[in-house]
Amino acid sequence: MLLRRLFAAVLAPLALLAAALPAGAEVVKTGHIEVELVSQEAAAVPGSTVFVALRQKIQPHWHTYWRNPGDAGDATKIVWTLPAGWTAGDIVWPTPERVRVGPLQDYAYSGEVLLPVPITVPASAKPGQTVTLQAAAAFLVCEEICVPEDAVVTLSLPVVAGPAKPDPKWGETVGKVLAAAPKPAGLKATWKKDGETLKLSVTGAALKDADFAEAYFFPYSGKAIDHAAPQAIERGPEGLTLSLTAGFDFGPEATEAPTELSGVLALKGGSYEITATPGERPAGSVGLGSLPAAGAGSTGGSQASGGAAADASGVGGLPVALLFAFLGGLILNLMPCVFPVLSMKAASLAAHAHDAGKTRAQGLAFLFGVVATFLALAGLLIAVRAGGEAVGWGFQLQSPAVVAVLSLLMLLVALNLSGVFEVGAAVQGAAGGVSAGSGLAGAFLTGALAVIVAAPCTAPFMAGALGFALTQPPAFALLVFLALAIGFAAPFVILAFAPGLLKKLPRPGAWMDVLKHALAFPMYGAAAWLVWVFSQQAGGVALALLLAAAVLVAFAAWAYGLGEARRFAGKAPLVAFGFALAGLAGGVALTVGALKAPVPAAGPQAAEVAGPGLAAEPWSPERVAALQAEGKVVMVDFTADWCVTCKVNEKTALAGPRLADAFKAQNAVLLKADWTKRDATIAAALAEHGRAGVPLYLVYPKGAGAPVILPQLLTEGLVIEAVEKAAKG
Amino acid sequence: MITRRLIVASAPLVVLAPSLALAAPAPAFTARDIDGKTRSLAEFKGKTVVLEWVNEGCPYVKKHYSGNMQGLQQAATADGVVWLSVASSAPGKQGYFADGAQAKTWMTAKGAKPTTLLLDPEGVVATAYKAKTTPHMYVIDPAGQLVYQGAIDDKPSSKPEDIATAKNYVAAALSDLKAGRKVAVPASQPYGCAVKYKDA
Repeated sequence: MLLRRLFAAVLAPLALLAAALPAGAEVVKTGHIEVELVSQEAAAVPGSTVFVALRQKIQPHWHTYWRNPGDAGDATKIVWTLPAGWTAGDIVWPTPERVRVGPLQDYAYSGEVLLPVPITVPASAKPGQTVTLQAAAAFLVCEEICVPEDAVVTLSLPVVAGPAKPDPKWGETVGKVLAAAPKPAGLKATWKKDGETLKLSVTGAALKDADFAEAYFFPYSGKAIDHAAPQAIERGPEGLTLSLTAGFDFGPEATEAPTELSGVLALKGGSYEITATPGERPAGSVGLGSLPAAGAGSTGGSQASGGAAADASGVGGLPVALLFAFLGGLILNLMPCVFPVLSMKAASLAAHAHDAGKTRAQGLAFLFGVVATFLALAGLLIAVRAGGEAVGWGFQLQSPAVVAVLSLLMLLVALNLSGVFEVGAAVQGAAGGVSAGSGLAGAFLTGALAVIVAAPCTAPFMAGALGFALTQPPAFALLVFLALAIGFAAPFVILAFAPGLLKKLPRPGAWMDVLKHALAFPMYGAAAWLVWVFSQQAGGVALALLLAAAVLVAFAAWAYGLGEARRFAGKAPLVAFGFALAGLAGGVALTVGALKAPVPAAGPQAAEVAGPGLAAEPWSPERVAALQAEGKVVMVDFTADWCVTCKVNEKTALAGPRLADAFKAQNAVLLKADWTKRDATIAAALAEHGRAGVPLYLVYPKGAGAPVILPQLLTEGLVIEAVEKAAKG
Repeated sequence: MITRRLIVASAPLVVLAPSLALAAPAPAFTARDIDGKTRSLAEFKGKTVVLEWVNEGCPYVKKHYSGNMQGLQQAATADGVVWLSVASSAPGKQGYFADGAQAKTWMTAKGAKPTTLLLDPEGVVATAYKAKTTPHMYVIDPAGQLVYQGAIDDKPSSKPEDIATAKNYVAAALSDLKAGRKVAVPASQPYGCAVKYKDA
């Protein structure tokens, strides 16, 4: 008895095992992968379907790819050789991982992956027979580099009359993979294009109360969406809406309008196959707020690039960007860029300090001027960028025509403040002046001018917010600019609404004229600066013409003032006005001439001496890499002649002999990227660091590696410290 | 309020600054070529330009350099097309050319016949074009408009034997351009190895 029992205990499982083993499933090693065919069931039943999976055991850090590999890579392909009558279906693709490679987004598998394929067993298959299934698999496997590998794997499967048992070794695993694979769940999906954004809305019973954190849509077509763009998530009671970035299929390049968008919606609780049709988003797909977009995928080196980080601890999401934009706008008032223009506003405030109603109205008009101009410039910028142009914040000053006109305008404002002429002189008496004019339009235009001339410089906080804004949909971007505008206008508006503060100013009187005349000089300064910027853009001949135009415009202003005075005195002003008109016409003609003057060809840029001993070489990305490779620390100064903040930094922090010594001691080189004129390479480099404007200061460590971003306001000590730190590596 | 009229007059000038593009102009770029010369897209205005992203170690590039790519280059340049191969691999990564000489050695060995090869180790040109794979192909028409971007052909594989049966999108775009037709397939999903961008 004992013996029989023992026999049964030992032999029965053995016998079972022998029967269950579907025999020869050998493992093929292809270099980075071990491949084999495994079956869900231990045998094939005639007239049924058996799932056979290609199993890949992938070396750590290497990947194979999903049906749509994403930005790069190649999906695994299987070519079957089957007995007559047997057919293979399509691979049932498990939900892939998102793998980030630099700026690229791949959809891939790592570790162990099973790719099940339904094999149809013909009714004519003879029980008792053993068939051999052969799969020639070709797959790309990548880590840093990519290696195409091939394997021919086979599986022997007995045919049995019926019901087949699960394969003891793989049955459960294959079953789990099939159960977890994305499936249709009767979900209703629609897509709607909104500019570059593709709104994908999905609702259905399966999504009720689902966890939408990390929700992500994997498209089947490689051209449907921009794989690397984050997918913003909005929750609703019955589903969700994802904001995708349209790819070629949905872009202007598409030859035919796409009718559907299909793919896999991956949630924490499961994955669903969806096919979206064009249409309005169903109710229930929004309304419960948004979630952060699913983070960049697992491995593959760097995380999402282009984050507007680094500046003031990074800008995460719209609310933070809005706050930073507001703070940036406030701080902008303290940047050297803005000083000249603010003197206009100061003159106006002083004039009306004791008329609360007027001051308030003017404060508001100033606010509207700032807001309208910011939004107009931002709208233009966004539109131009959408057209594919590489422009950034401050682009208006990259046009010599704009700079020329602004310089003459500044001159006129200055002459006006100097009292050379009054506008509508009689009305206001002594207090009449450019921004002191009774008209609200004056305050509005002061705001507009301040933005056009002064806002191109970026301030701390503002830089990050702008960089963020320009990567967002237009509506978000405009909100950020709005916050910036409000921040910028805030100090004056608050002042205008704080009668207590204004009462502290002395009563109007003769001192106001003195103040006004004094405030003319910052405006002359602004005019001189713009003329210099113009000369950098347009060359010497054009400069001469513009200066002549300035003289004529000044003459016209004086003649006009004379005419107004005569009229005030009851005399005929016609002759004087005639001279004014002639002068103005001459000025305009000369300005046009200046703009048509030949621009001297930019010769080979000589190394520019930025200060005693420290020469700045022209920047190029290649030069940075080359110098780094030579073991040098590289500092890059992204600057423009129209950026006063940049110029102040260059004079105060980048010109001293101490700095030159430090650069020499640390074997460091200063490169200068001059954005005075438009330059796509520089714009691209700014964008790469999440910026839309200058100044930007980068210090690259020697050898290789990413740069450190310095603040917008430099001190010599700060630069030296950064360079020394970079030299230490 | 003299400034009022002046500002109003200057407003259109502000709007003038950069022109609004209706179609999709190819992003401008400048890069050093294998001879150390700085080349820019602007200098080829009036000519058809092909950009080809290359990484000599990538199996997909190797597949097409079994003769296909060289043949395309030769036919295109003979037709007056400017063919720029672009190597955007970062230092230390597969496909990085330390200098022009290294690139030339590879080109000579392969019999590559582009107009020139651009060294883009910082990935600036690649970033501007959002180049994703090697190869990744772009065709720019004489007016500077991007008329094709994507794969070299419609058979994503690393096997040279697939070339014979594949439809070559670049050749098709070039012949469409030559015949004055609209490019029939203006975009496709590129395939190949990821462009070896520098680590951020």
